[in-house]
Amino acid sequence: MQHLQKEGVGLMASVTLYHWEPNANSGKPMLALMEKGVAFNSRYLDLLNFDQHKPEYLAVNPQGTIPAMLHADRVLTESTAIMEYVDEAFPGPRLMPEDPRDRWRVRWWMKFMDQWLGPSFSMIGWSVFVGPSVRSRDPKELEAAVERIPLPERRVAWRKAITGQFSAEEMAESRRRVAQGIRMLEHELAQRPWLASNHYSLADINGFNLAYALPLSQPTLSNDELTPNILRWLRAIYARPATKACWALGRTSLVKRVTILEQPHIGGPVA
Amino acid sequence: MSMTLYHGEPNGPSLTVLATLIAKQVPAELRYIDLARGQRHTLPFAQQPLVAMSIEGEGPVLVVDGEAMSDSVFIACYLDDVGQAPALRPAEPYARWEMMRWCRQMIERTAPAAAYLGCHAHPPRADAGILEKIGSVDLRARWQQSTAGQFSAEQLADSRTKIGLAVERIEERLADREWLIGAFSIADLESFAWLAGMVSLVPEAFAARGRTAAWLARVRATPAVARALALARSADPAASWSVGPEINRWG
Repeated sequence: MQHLQKEGVGLMASVTLYHWEPNANSGKPMLALMEKGVAFNSRYLDLLNFDQHKPEYLAVNPQGTIPAMLHADRVLTESTAIMEYVDEAFPGPRLMPEDPRDRWRVRWWMKFMDQWLGPSFSMIGWSVFVGPSVRSRDPKELEAAVERIPLPERRVAWRKAITGQFSAEEMAESRRRVAQGIRMLEHELAQRPWLASNHYSLADINGFNLAYALPLSQPTLSNDELTPNILRWLRAIYARPATKACWALGRTSLVKRVTILEQPHIGGPVA
Repeated sequence: MSMTLYHGEPNGPSLTVLATLIAKQVPAELRYIDLARGQRHTLPFAQQPLVAMSIEGEGPVLVVDGEAMSDSVFIACYLDDVGQAPALRPAEPYARWEMMRWCRQMIERTAPAAAYLGCHAHPPRADAGILEKIGSVDLRARWQQSTAGQFSAEQLADSRTKIGLAVERIEERLADREWLIGAFSIADLESFAWLAGMVSLVPEAFAARGRTAAWLARVRATPAVARALALARSADPAASWSVGPEINRWG
């Protein structure tokens, strides 16, 4: 499938993106490309079908991580670093602020989300969505699929998700981090219109991919009463044409959760 | 613009930022703090969220017009933007991607391992009053484990493996070049800063790694690094460690 926004139908785009749903790491370069107006060939990999560990994809990215981007003959990995590349290598609106200190803040937040907050969201997501989605399959087939995963730490993560073996302490720590991360986002978004500066930036793209379903997944922690600034921010990003186009590429129920942002008011859960 | 850098001994993240500041000739007041005693947590801006919740652990803090900035690689990028030539990052987008990806691997894989081994060999010591002030619950837990001498054999072994992998990657990378990414860059500084102290702690990782040894000597001899190292208050700054980033919780 191709998404040609500027080059016109029939021309091959010079960029190919291998991605899963517009969610978490996959969604970051997808949305950055859409915001820049860069045409790209979309190669959807079904994470739940372990497409990312099949030989065809390992030939592109031997680590078997998603996403990966091909530009001309170069392969790029690591979603946040890809986003910075997309912003610098292509024309279109700048997604990094001009001010050097604003740029520092963009990078600070992206690291915090990529390495501290994101993995906690992800542990919860894997235990409630990814694990149950694949658990009903033939155990032998699953074990063979896990054995093909190149990175040892990803093998551990998949085994835990499949067998539901996240410990109570691990889950409690992830919930603590999610709650604290929500408080920090609300505090930061009370200071300025966007997360890291007064301009829409890669930090917002990164954050939306992490938090777009927050009022649905964490209704007691994030709603219009408790976190008005987070909700204002999520709705503003959702209103952007690039976001709509990006989320339209989703195929699973996971990303359909974004439509909660169409509700004009999201109250806390009724006791 | 008023700028103050609070830094520890020139090792790990403090070394990256000090050397960058010197190389870029950025005028800033330097204030020494004892990171190994947790002194960062007694500073007036310590509770600002972007300092308290920095996942780098005990690193330097650059205060610019009242805003306290943490995370050494990103402070270095900032200094590269505002300082004098030469640039410490490549200009071409692909090479810049390579540098950011390289630094990310250092930050995420190598730094936690180096800090864990460093703290095991040279334990930081903060009194209870300071531990109470630490805003991040997980950073405080790492301090408590370190102070109590709770190091797991499994994580020590895993950390040694990760140092070995980092050196292997550097050795391979240097096959056809003098510096890690393009000209001398933040990637060289950040890699040197975390690995210089590992030569004595994980000698097997550096055995028969001639290119890495020559590169370590080259980085050490750059004027900026030499001047940063000369700011040390201890005889061997590479033996000065404090609590670092956490080892990945999962995946």
